[in-house]
Amino acid sequence: MAALGTTSVGSLPKPDYLQKARTKAAKGEISAELLHELERKATREWIGFQETVGIDIPVDGEQYRGDMATYFAENLEGTEISGLVRSYGNRYYKKPIVNGELQRPKPITVEWFRYAQSLTEKPVKGMITGPYTMMDWSFDEHYGSREELAMAFAKVLHAEARDLEAAGARIIQIDEPALSARADELPLVLRAVRAVTEGLRAKTVLHTCYGNYDEIFGYFHRLPVDQLDLEMSNSGLDLLDRFRKEPIAKEIAFGVIDVHDHVVETEQLVRQRIEQALSIFEPHKLYIDPDCGLKTRTVEEAEAKLRVMVNATRAVKAARCLT
Amino acid sequence: MNLVAPASASPEASALVHTTVVGSYPRVGDTHAEQKLRRAIAQFDKGEIADTDLRAVEREVVRDVLREQAEAGVELVTDGQVTWYDSQSHVARRFEGIEIGGLIRYFDTNTYYRQPIVRGPIAWKAPVLADEWRYAQAHVSVGVKAVVPGPVTIASLALNKHYATKRALALALAEALASEVRTLAEAGARHIQVDEPILTRRPEDLRLVEETWTHLAEAKGRAELTLFVAFGDIAEVYRRVVRLPADRIGLDLVQGAKTWAQIEADGADKPLVLGLVDARNTRPEDPADVAARLQGLRRELDLEECWLSPSNGLEFLPRAKAREKLAIVVEAARLAGVA
Repeated sequence: MAALGTTSVGSLPKPDYLQKARTKAAKGEISAELLHELERKATREWIGFQETVGIDIPVDGEQYRGDMATYFAENLEGTEISGLVRSYGNRYYKKPIVNGELQRPKPITVEWFRYAQSLTEKPVKGMITGPYTMMDWSFDEHYGSREELAMAFAKVLHAEARDLEAAGARIIQIDEPALSARADELPLVLRAVRAVTEGLRAKTVLHTCYGNYDEIFGYFHRLPVDQLDLEMSNSGLDLLDRFRKEPIAKEIAFGVIDVHDHVVETEQLVRQRIEQALSIFEPHKLYIDPDCGLKTRTVEEAEAKLRVMVNATRAVKAARCLT
Repeated sequence: MNLVAPASASPEASALVHTTVVGSYPRVGDTHAEQKLRRAIAQFDKGEIADTDLRAVEREVVRDVLREQAEAGVELVTDGQVTWYDSQSHVARRFEGIEIGGLIRYFDTNTYYRQPIVRGPIAWKAPVLADEWRYAQAHVSVGVKAVVPGPVTIASLALNKHYATKRALALALAEALASEVRTLAEAGARHIQVDEPILTRRPEDLRLVEETWTHLAEAKGRAELTLFVAFGDIAEVYRRVVRLPADRIGLDLVQGAKTWAQIEADGADKPLVLGLVDARNTRPEDPADVAARLQGLRRELDLEECWLSPSNGLEFLPRAKAREKLAIVVEAARLAGVA
């Protein structure tokens, strides 16, 4: 891989026509087929945009997902979807309830991966919501223990990862935003993630965000993945000092865009953030991306933010003669 | 004025314990009508409605939330913290010396709080909660409890860029929060609850809670001041916690199940709030089981002075499930009295 590869974390905003279609589909006013067609159109547009601006590792943008945990739960047996629960601010999600043994009747994301990959020569990331997060973000009315539930999710998600790999995914990202929820459960996080990544040949990435990194830092190097994808801008780049003192051998994807702010960063600010990252990480092991999924921004904001990210990365590469 | 009476007109004569809630309540539900606040905030963000329009919808939802609790038969309710962005920044952002930063996970939940950043000396400027409490109390016939974030928890979750030590920060926050307690008491609040969940993670912070409590207690006037500790157990420091000069101690006995053995062993010389109904999982308890557990504490506690509650704020549940949990609390209290 070239130095300072650019990528996205996963979700991208849904265009207006898709938002409206989802609302109509929920009320039964349009067919599932029409909604599906519009989801494909939005996926095409996002792959096209990422191609145009020159992002090295595109994502499908998750145009077909409501929420990252709910989507997987909806496609598993042994779950039901409960009512809305607030996450923060005005953001809500339908928190799954596990009420029986978890089973995966058929692949969940593989068709979407195939479709997105068919639209570009660049390697599209396969995206899975991790087993620990699925457990932590579900109500449990069946298993009775957090450990059993996490490992049950790991089993079905491992099958999904295998299928993504078989479909051609060269990079598989596991999203574990709940990673730092309980410091005493980090051994369980390691075990559950290992149960997903075990035996995969694809490059594996673990994304996490908005946690108490300081407390869990000692576990970073033990996570059974090749790359850590971290939100850095929202937390004011505080983590850099730890990395300076305790270097890590894994690749790092470094968040340089605050996904919760409407304001589009200046190229200069993003360049500064990349330069700070380069003061610690080797350019060939460093990837540049936003802090997290951009779905909470408008399409225009997300596009502007990704453009700035790519331009700033190019400027840094040019200034440092990196290839 | 539109007063909502509790379902059972008066508290059940036979109820052994009283019933209350811990603080937050789902501000949005699954019906179109129950999502009016979500829509209003989205419209406000797009500049389609004015600040006053948004405030009006917030107040409508506060009234709905009060009504749901009262109709379930809960005797001491809250405004559901409907207008709070989160448990920490709602009050902290109004203090001099504090600005609000990025999102951070709140304890082990999948909710986030905006981190208070302490940039200078903290000073209380004007009442934050008194008007909200007055509004709620004017719209329901049962008592409304005011909830205040604890100084030691804010000091622990904030980013301290000014004070030399956490202790200095906690004491400054305690002084500012004492003004909140004072203005709430002056407004007429008879029950004020201070939340210090940090004790479940850092029992060693009890010394600071003891020290800051003095400031809060001095300001309480005629109000009853409760310390509530959710998100885990305080078994290690239980004996010292119940000796605090608080009028009442509230405990999460689901996630903090370990504290139960300490209550059995040591009892309490003051009334407790017993958080026995799981506010973080949808699985419904059998009210008879909860009642039996309460009965088990007859010898250790003066149950008639105690309150039964959910283990935590109910906002971690969908609205329909929160209503079910309220019904379980009320029914368990009734059964405990009948037994």
